[in-house]
Amino acid sequence: MRRRDYALLVSPSVLVMFALLVVPLYRTIEWSFQRVRYGQPGTFVGLDNYREAFSDPRFLSAVSFTVVITLTTVTVLVLGGYVLAVLVNRLGRRTRPFVLGLLLVPYVVPGLVGGTMFSWLFNDNFGGIVNQLIRALGLPQVLWFTETWANRGLVGASVVWFLLPFAMLVMLAGLQGVPTELLESARMDGAGTLRTHWSVIAPSIRGVIGFVALICIMDVLRLFDQLIPLSPQAVQIGNESLVLYIYNQAFLDGGQRLGLGSAMNVLLIVLIVIMLLPFIRDTAREGRNA
Amino acid sequence: MRIPLRPRARVGLAAASALVVAAGLTACGAGSRTGAETAAQVDCPVEVDSPTTVNVLAYNSSAIDPYTNAMVRSCTEGDLTVAHEPIDFAGQTQRTTATLAGEEGTYDVLETYGYIIPQLAADESLVPLDDLVDTYGEQYDLGALNEGMREAMSYDGSLYAIPMQAQMFLMAYRQDVFDDLGLEPPTTFEELRQVSQAIQDAGDFEYPLALPWLASGDITTAYDAALGSLGVDYVDPETMTPNFDTPEAAQALEEMQSLVPFMDPQVTTFDQPAVQQQMYNGDAAIAIMFSGRMSDLADEDNTQYAADFGFAPPPSVEADGPQFSALSVDGWSIPANSAVDDDVLFQVIATSVSEDASEASLPAAYPARDGVADSSDSPIIEAASEAIDNAPPAEPFPWTAPISNETRPVIAEVVLGQTSVEDATARMQQIATDVLAQYS
Repeated sequence: MRRRDYALLVSPSVLVMFALLVVPLYRTIEWSFQRVRYGQPGTFVGLDNYREAFSDPRFLSAVSFTVVITLTTVTVLVLGGYVLAVLVNRLGRRTRPFVLGLLLVPYVVPGLVGGTMFSWLFNDNFGGIVNQLIRALGLPQVLWFTETWANRGLVGASVVWFLLPFAMLVMLAGLQGVPTELLESARMDGAGTLRTHWSVIAPSIRGVIGFVALICIMDVLRLFDQLIPLSPQAVQIGNESLVLYIYNQAFLDGGQRLGLGSAMNVLLIVLIVIMLLPFIRDTAREGRNA
Repeated sequence: MRIPLRPRARVGLAAASALVVAAGLTACGAGSRTGAETAAQVDCPVEVDSPTTVNVLAYNSSAIDPYTNAMVRSCTEGDLTVAHEPIDFAGQTQRTTATLAGEEGTYDVLETYGYIIPQLAADESLVPLDDLVDTYGEQYDLGALNEGMREAMSYDGSLYAIPMQAQMFLMAYRQDVFDDLGLEPPTTFEELRQVSQAIQDAGDFEYPLALPWLASGDITTAYDAALGSLGVDYVDPETMTPNFDTPEAAQALEEMQSLVPFMDPQVTTFDQPAVQQQMYNGDAAIAIMFSGRMSDLADEDNTQYAADFGFAPPPSVEADGPQFSALSVDGWSIPANSAVDDDVLFQVIATSVSEDASEASLPAAYPARDGVADSSDSPIIEAASEAIDNAPPAEPFPWTAPISNETRPVIAEVVLGQTSVEDATARMQQIATDVLAQYS
C-alpha cells in the first residue's frame, strides 16, 4: 500500500482518537492542577488538588474498596466464565443458541437498569425474593443495603451477573480455536478431564483469558452506575468506588470541583495502568512473538 | 470445538437481545408522572418574530408536571416551541449548575425553589423579575399569587421566580389501623412514638413508621425540619454564628434517633419514592414527607389501600412548637444567560401559573394562586392548608444550601450510630463556620 493511501485510510481514526481521547486526557491533566468552575478559565493551584485527594480518608477507602472488589470479581469472572463456556460448549446444537441468548441478557441490559432490577431481588419494598427465601429457611434477616460486607457481596454478585456473559462468550470463542488433534493426543496420553483443561486447553487460550481479565479489570475499576441502586449508603458503609467518589466530590448537589475531580481521575488512570501492566506486558510479548 | 449458529438461531438470538435492549431503553425513558395530553390548555398570547425554542428544565413529579405540561402544551404554537425533557431532581440540580455557568446556557426557563434562590440570586445567575411583573402582572393576574410565596422566591428585595406551588411536610396514616386501635393522629413527637409503639405492639406492622431519611439526600431536610420545629435556624444571620452548639441542635438529633426503633432498619436508604412504596405495600402505617408525594397514595392504581389513607399536618417535636416540617416553594426563573428574549420567557412562565393551570394541578400540588386551594375538597389539600401556616420559616440565605449539603454525612452517621451527638454537633459547628467564612 502506498504511503498516501495508508495516510488517507488511517487519518479518520486518528482524528477521532485525537478528539475523543487525546484532547480530553490533556484537559483532564491540565485541570488537575487548577481550580475550575463551569464556563470559567481555571486558576493554577499546583499540587493542591492532589494533596486534598490524598489527605481525604474517603479517597483511600474508595481506592481500597475498588481494588478489592476488582480483584475478587475478576477472579470469579475468569473462573466462572471458563466453566460456563465449557458447559455451554457441550450443549447440543438445538439448545445452545437459546441458552446463549438467555445468558447474554444481563450483558445487554444497561448497567443502571440491571443494577436496579438486581437490587429488587434483595429489597422487601419490591418483593425481595431472596429475602423471602432467607425467611422461609428460617435464617436471620440480612441488611443488604446498610451492612458493609452484605452490601459488598450484593455489589460483587451484581458485577459478576453483569459481566459473566461477556467472559463466557469470549472464552467460548477461544475454546473454538483449540485444535481437536491436541485434545485427542491428551486423551491418548491418558489425561483426565481436569488435567486436560489445566495442562492443555487453558494454556492454549492463555491470550484469551488474559484479554477477558484485562477488559473485566477495566470495567470493574470504573464501577459506578450499578452502585447507585445497589449501595445508596455507599459513603457511610465504606463501599464507595473510586468513580462514585469522584462524582460525589465533583458534581453532587450541583458541585463544581472539577479540578479536584480531574486530579482524582488522573490517579484513577494511574491505578488502571498499574493493575493492567502484567496483561499489557503479556499482550505485547505475544505480539512480538507472533 | 465449534459453535455452530444456524441462521434461525442467530435471528432468535438477535431478536431476544433487541427485545431486552428495547425494554431497558424504555425503562430509562420514563416520562412525566401526569400525562401531557391531559394538561391544562390555557391562553398563551406570546408572539415571536422568528422561530424560537424555549428549553425548560424541570424535574418530573406529580406536583410539578401539571405546570410544566400546561406551559408546553399551551405555548407551543406557530414559531414558538416550548421543549421539556423528562429528568429527575438530582439531574435538575446538576444541570442547573452547568447551564448557569457559561456565557450562554442550554436552558431558558428553570424550575427553582426557595432553598436555592438566595444562592443563585447572589451569584447574579437569575433575571430579577420585578420590572416584568410590573409590565405583565395585570394581564396574567399575577397579583393573585400568594404574597408569602412571592417573598419566598425573593432575595434582597427583588423577585427571582414566579411561584407556582408550595410543598410542606404532611403526614399520611392508615385511618383503618388507627380506628381499629383507637388512635388519633399524633401532634407531637412524644405522641408519634406512642402511636408507633401501639401499632408495633398490635403485631401487624413490624416497622409502622416510614420517613425519607436517605443518607445521601433527604436526611438533611429531616434534620432541618426537626431543628426548625424547635425554633432554631442553622445560622443566626445577625451575628453570622452557626447554631449547632445550642442544646436544640443536639436535641433535634436525639429526637431523630428516638424514632429509629419504629422504622425499617435500612431507613437511611429510603428516599420519598421508597417511602411511598412502603405505604403502597402496606408495610408501614404512618409516613411523613412532602405534600407533593401524597396524591400518589390516594391513587387506586398505585395501591389497594388508597381509600384507607388519612392525611394530617405533621407533628411538632415539642408541644406548641412549629411543626416538624420544611416549607418549599417551587417556581419558575429566567436564567441570566438565556439567549431568548426575557419578555417572551416571562409570558411563557406566567401562562403556566394561570388560574386554569393551577386548578388542574389539584390535589397533587398546593397552588400559589390564592383561593385555588380553598376550592378543593381533597383531604390532602385540607391538611396542607392547615399545615402551611405552622411550618417553620425558611432560611433565605446563600449559605443555607452549602451548610445543609456539607453537614449531611454527619447527620447520617448519628442516625446510624456511628457518631455521638456531642461529636456530631461539634463537627457540624466547624463545617458551618468554614462555610460562613466564605460569606463574611
